[in-house]
Amino acid sequence: MHNEDIDKQDQEIQALLKDYPMPAADAGFYDQALVRATHEGSRRQRNKWLLTGFGAAIAATIAVWMIGGMLLTSPQLPDAGSVIPGVTVALEEPRTVNLVFASATALDSATLTVTLPDGIELNGFPGQREITWETSLNEGRNLLPLTLIALTPTGGELLARLEHKDRDRTFRLRVDVT
Amino acid sequence: MDNNLAFERLVRPHFDRLYRLAWRLTGAKAEAEDLFQELLIKAFGKLDDLVEIDEPGSWLCRVMYNLFIDERRRFARRRMHMVEEGQLAGDGLAGLPGNDNPLHDNERLEKLRHLDAALAQLSDEHRVVVLLHDTEGYKLTEIQALTGVPVGTVKSRLHRARARLREILLADGTIS
Repeated sequence: MHNEDIDKQDQEIQALLKDYPMPAADAGFYDQALVRATHEGSRRQRNKWLLTGFGAAIAATIAVWMIGGMLLTSPQLPDAGSVIPGVTVALEEPRTVNLVFASATALDSATLTVTLPDGIELNGFPGQREITWETSLNEGRNLLPLTLIALTPTGGELLARLEHKDRDRTFRLRVDVT
Repeated sequence: MDNNLAFERLVRPHFDRLYRLAWRLTGAKAEAEDLFQELLIKAFGKLDDLVEIDEPGSWLCRVMYNLFIDERRRFARRRMHMVEEGQLAGDGLAGLPGNDNPLHDNERLEKLRHLDAALAQLSDEHRVVVLLHDTEGYKLTEIQALTGVPVGTVKSRLHRARARLREILLADGTIS
């Protein structure tokens, strides 16, 4: 390919990049973000004072342990399917739940699908009942923080399905709303 | 002065710049809003430091970039799979200032959609550099300050990102 062809193509790309659009923030977003920041920032600061030490810091969020049996070699580990852990969230108050996946080996291109019960949303994904993404798991513990928001007092069961190659495993989390 | 008010006075002048950066880093509205929000929460916790900083805007951008990188390290490639079509930068396509020639507008939109898809195929490092430099007009040294990556590496990423974009856009017929 001639240099002038490449130059012309680069100019075209440059022009497209210059035009590459970006919408403005929604009306009121900045104000809401400020209010949430000062509210949440204050809450975190209070927690910082109240909770000291590593153990206490961990207690600041609910850690729901989900052991990926299919990924582990030890057969005596509990079957996640037989125990349904639960979490209680307040109506319309975001709450972060940490799901911990334990993997015996590092996994590339695992697919994680979170299915939410009616009335529960994942922060940042309004109106979406199912969110799927591809991720990699490290050997050992892998943390997935999910910030849940209850829009109705119904509650229900959240499903987290982990797939890798031809194997999959579904974990359940009961979500109660107060 | 009330902490909330002091905080607002420090950060609000930089909101537009930060929102743009969040968009360019994440490429999706929901994630950009989350990143913006998380930055503000973190910054509020650092209010005592923030009042002492000469250029809070640059500091806020760096913190946002670091938050973005931390998140990406946790979930590599998440963006490409979590983003639905309606949330892509194409959200803004409808709002593009057009002319009175619908055919021309459609061609342009189509090309931008292809660009959007091509950008999604780049690594985060390449995508961010090319968007900050070629779209947002950041200087190489500004990208260096933001990312902490040496200018030579920034240049190299920019070169590779452009070459990859050219390759993709040639293959799909967007450019010829």
